Amino acid sequence: MNRNRRSVSNIACAVLLTCGWAATAGAQATDASAPAAPDASAPADAAPADVKTLDQEVQGLKKDVIDLNKDLFVLEEELLYPANTQVALYLSMDVGAFFALDSVTLKIDNKEVKNYLYTAREADALLKGGVQQIYLGNLKAGKHELVAFFTGKGPAERDYKRGATTIFEKGVGAKYLELKITDRVAKHQPEFIIKDWE
Amino acid sequence: MRRGFLAGSLVACALLAASSVAAPPTLIGKPAPDFVLKSLDGTNLRLSEYRGQVVLVNFWARWAGDSRQEIPALDRINTTYQRAGLVVLGISVDEDLRRAGEFAASMRVSYPILFDTGSNVGRDYFLEKMPMTILVDRAGIVRYSKTGFKLGDERAYLDQIRELLRE
Repeated sequence: MNRNRRSVSNIACAVLLTCGWAATAGAQATDASAPAAPDASAPADAAPADVKTLDQEVQGLKKDVIDLNKDLFVLEEELLYPANTQVALYLSMDVGAFFALDSVTLKIDNKEVKNYLYTAREADALLKGGVQQIYLGNLKAGKHELVAFFTGKGPAERDYKRGATTIFEKGVGAKYLELKITDRVAKHQPEFIIKDWE
Repeated sequence: MRRGFLAGSLVACALLAASSVAAPPTLIGKPAPDFVLKSLDGTNLRLSEYRGQVVLVNFWARWAGDSRQEIPALDRINTTYQRAGLVVLGISVDEDLRRAGEFAASMRVSYPILFDTGSNVGRDYFLEKMPMTILVDRAGIVRYSKTGFKLGDERAYLDQIRELLRE
């Protein structure tokens, strides 16, 4: 309840900030338009300095807009995915010589929550060390079952489909799980691990 | 009296519903919904990865006669304008993946053919009639949409494509 109130007050602050920013911007626009006439008669060498100042102001305003967008995004995330019920799943690939990723299907408590197709660029990014947040959702506290199906090309370019499953305990705080695709060099096979980040 | 009021309310509701149906939703001027689909050659393609290029998205079906006329025309457009920054994506909405694949292979087009077997992408694009062609500009905004095809329509596509490529 307190959290909701805090979030609402945060949103109110953001709206006020936006209004304030808009008013400031409007005032600046008015100010900028007011001395426009005398500037026209000013010497020509003064013009580049004015342009530079105006450019700096525009850059400043753009930065403010980006900052506001970031704050709004954070607020939205907080409202939609409260941290105490949040479950985030990440996917990473280590080496990947024995497996070319094509798609991942995720099921939580026997309900499909995600089916993701990977383009060549995305698979390449994962191979280069990228970590993808593949799922973000909310779950109540207690035990839950996660099943992940990985499809792609396995050793010798053969179609490959494997599953990995885990039962995890969702506590009071946020839960983070990592789906790891690694190579088992000894067996010349890929390995799929689900790691629980406490 | 009450029955009359009820009937009147029903008529009003029906009229309201009819007026809402009369204006079909459009994506023109809005960001093109992103999608990732499997292609005929087995790779997955994502629309947003073509940001910076002009993209022509063509929804087609094996059973739609107009599609059979349109696909060769789009292939000619692709061959000509590919080097200028145009990307053509054909999306089959056939439920029978195998037959759609056979048909697409028989057409021997030079652009990627994707399969929207779940019709999710078609739903995002308010697909009602076949075929449907969408033009997405370099910023990822839908700029042109056309349903149906008859010979000569490709000239309208070319006008739009040239304009978008110049931007």
